[in-house]
Amino acid sequence: MENIFIILLGLSMIYISSTSRLTAHINMLILQGWLLFLICLSGFMAEPWFNLNIFNSVKENSSHILGIAFIIIETLVVKSFIIPVFLKKVMKKTHAHRDSDANIPHFYALVISSIILFMGFMSANINAPEFKLISPLYFGVSIAVIITSLWLITVKRTVLSNVISFITMENGIFLLSLSAAKEMPVIINLGVLLDIFIAVFILGMLVREINTEFEDLEISHISELKDYE
Amino acid sequence: MINLILIFPLLACLILLFTKKKILNNFFIILYAILHFAVSIAVNLNIDFLPFWENTVFFEANGINKLFLIVLSVVFLAFAFYNRGYMKDDISNERRLRHYAYMVLFFVFSMTGSILSTNLGITWVFIEGTTLASAYLIYFHKTKHSIEAAWKYVFICSIGIALAFVGIILLTAASGSLESLYYKDLFEHAKEFNPFWLKMSFVFILFGIGTKMGLAPVHFWLPDAHAESPSPVSSLLSAALLNSAFLMIINVFRITVYAGCDFFARIMLLIMGFLSLFVAAVFIYHINNYKRMLAYSSIENMGILAIGLALGGFGMIAAMMHLVGHSLIKAAFFMTSGNILKLYESKKINHIEGIMSVDKATGWLWILSFLGIAAFPPSLLFISEFLIVKTFIVNGYYILCALFLILLTIILYGTGHNVIGMSFGKRSEIIGHKKLCLSLYIPQILLLAAAFWLGLYMPECISNIFLEASMGL
Repeated sequence: MENIFIILLGLSMIYISSTSRLTAHINMLILQGWLLFLICLSGFMAEPWFNLNIFNSVKENSSHILGIAFIIIETLVVKSFIIPVFLKKVMKKTHAHRDSDANIPHFYALVISSIILFMGFMSANINAPEFKLISPLYFGVSIAVIITSLWLITVKRTVLSNVISFITMENGIFLLSLSAAKEMPVIINLGVLLDIFIAVFILGMLVREINTEFEDLEISHISELKDYE
Repeated sequence: MINLILIFPLLACLILLFTKKKILNNFFIILYAILHFAVSIAVNLNIDFLPFWENTVFFEANGINKLFLIVLSVVFLAFAFYNRGYMKDDISNERRLRHYAYMVLFFVFSMTGSILSTNLGITWVFIEGTTLASAYLIYFHKTKHSIEAAWKYVFICSIGIALAFVGIILLTAASGSLESLYYKDLFEHAKEFNPFWLKMSFVFILFGIGTKMGLAPVHFWLPDAHAESPSPVSSLLSAALLNSAFLMIINVFRITVYAGCDFFARIMLLIMGFLSLFVAAVFIYHINNYKRMLAYSSIENMGILAIGLALGGFGMIAAMMHLVGHSLIKAAFFMTSGNILKLYESKKINHIEGIMSVDKATGWLWILSFLGIAAFPPSLLFISEFLIVKTFIVNGYYILCALFLILLTIILYGTGHNVIGMSFGKRSEIIGHKKLCLSLYIPQILLLAAAFWLGLYMPECISNIFLEASMGL
């Protein structure tokens, strides 16, 4: 079951790279948040401890309950609610609804991101002893998501879509952390989440400042600082 | 005891938040600096003046990070006093000055946390914390240029640090059945790690944290951020922040050494180190902004640190000395650049002439900082660079040694040309302050005195700290 969600996550990157409406990008972020939640949930469902009885003895199962609570907060609350709402607010304030004139046409973007995803799937089939240490499909798709996001950062033209690509990259890294099949301690997870959350928040504030100081949100305007004048 | 310097800034921020007293802004920064200095001196002398207060598992002062802690303390202490003089006539409103104080406290707190942490994951969290705290400091003047610099800084560093997190995940994959990210466990079990994933993880962490450290080719945020932030902040960025990123690289490098796959890591470090020297050499001569020039000099020195780490042995000891010398001298250099900015109100090199005749003390500090950074004896950097050259020759890397010396000479010429041009010549008209207060001179004098004194005479207790920090590499 989780394989379907993982593949959908990979496909959502293709959609992001081939549209220019920022609302559609933000909707995809919401979808990705949900998909990550479902992937984690199906991971939990495979565990022997996963049933309603864990709430009967909260003390014994506190680490499991904490883990589930954290996943819900991270994926559903932060990734698919707070961040999208915040980005939509920024979008409204800055009147940037489209990222038109990307550096390459949509058709090519579609082809390139499909090729990256395909390579991700192919890497999931590598039969090497090293790959026994990780879950291959998680690994392949997450690497594809990270590479597509990094590539999108270089081709998109507005700062807001750069922020969106940054978040999709973080989603890819979240998926990668699931592939190692080892849970990080909750305290580290919380710290990571807090950092990413604040980073997005600061980037959003800066987008608004850029909008007031510069003519618009085009990334090409933000190149006044140079070594040679 | 080290809990004190981790809890104090948070308490100070809370008190500032509730009292909103203007006078407390500087008071807390200076108090924290003094406390920080006292604690790190005690740590280095192995004295615990709060023995009843036990450390948590996440933080610890040990042989590896003691040196970094004391460097941070010294630079922060100098920063605190310089900052008081520098911000005295700032026209920003009270609210912004209060935010500035919060962010300085939080910035130093995150650097301290990243240095003292015993867990790779926690170090990561604190390093990202430093990015977020210092973003506001860079953006403090709210000009078009500072927004641009802050944007590039937050965006590039966040991506870099996110990639470093990929490295940490791959390290957990490499560690097999080991369910821990504590350095102690990682060092102990390094031999059992899967070499393929360990190397992959090192590449990601080197590039990711290398972004933060300012190694070429991922250094692009550094000149902008250092040039656009207020001068005291630039000194803290260059002399303290880059070191804390370097410590994380050292720790991960140490894992590769213990795992026996360090050859690959050393080559990566050498490439990035030489690239940094090359980038600095190419750009430094034609630059027309003296703070940018200092930023490129930081990139150069980070490159030298990476090379020292790659060489190992004496090279590593040299790298540790270089780190201390660079932090002391570069902090003084950036602070003096703040004096020049106050006198001339311009960052352009070609607008500035005759600093010596305008303000003799600033002129001398400018020249002495240059002599220090250019590794003129008895600067501490002379000894470190000499040791690195010696390590090159002993190991038989003659071509690399020649390349190293040529690149350093080009950088020396470029910096010297600009510094001498600015210091002497006819007196250009000054539009800024006519007279600067004493606290804009004393911190630099003390920092430079320390750097030159360590070059002349190094007490055994200090050389032991260097040896301990470079043990095993």
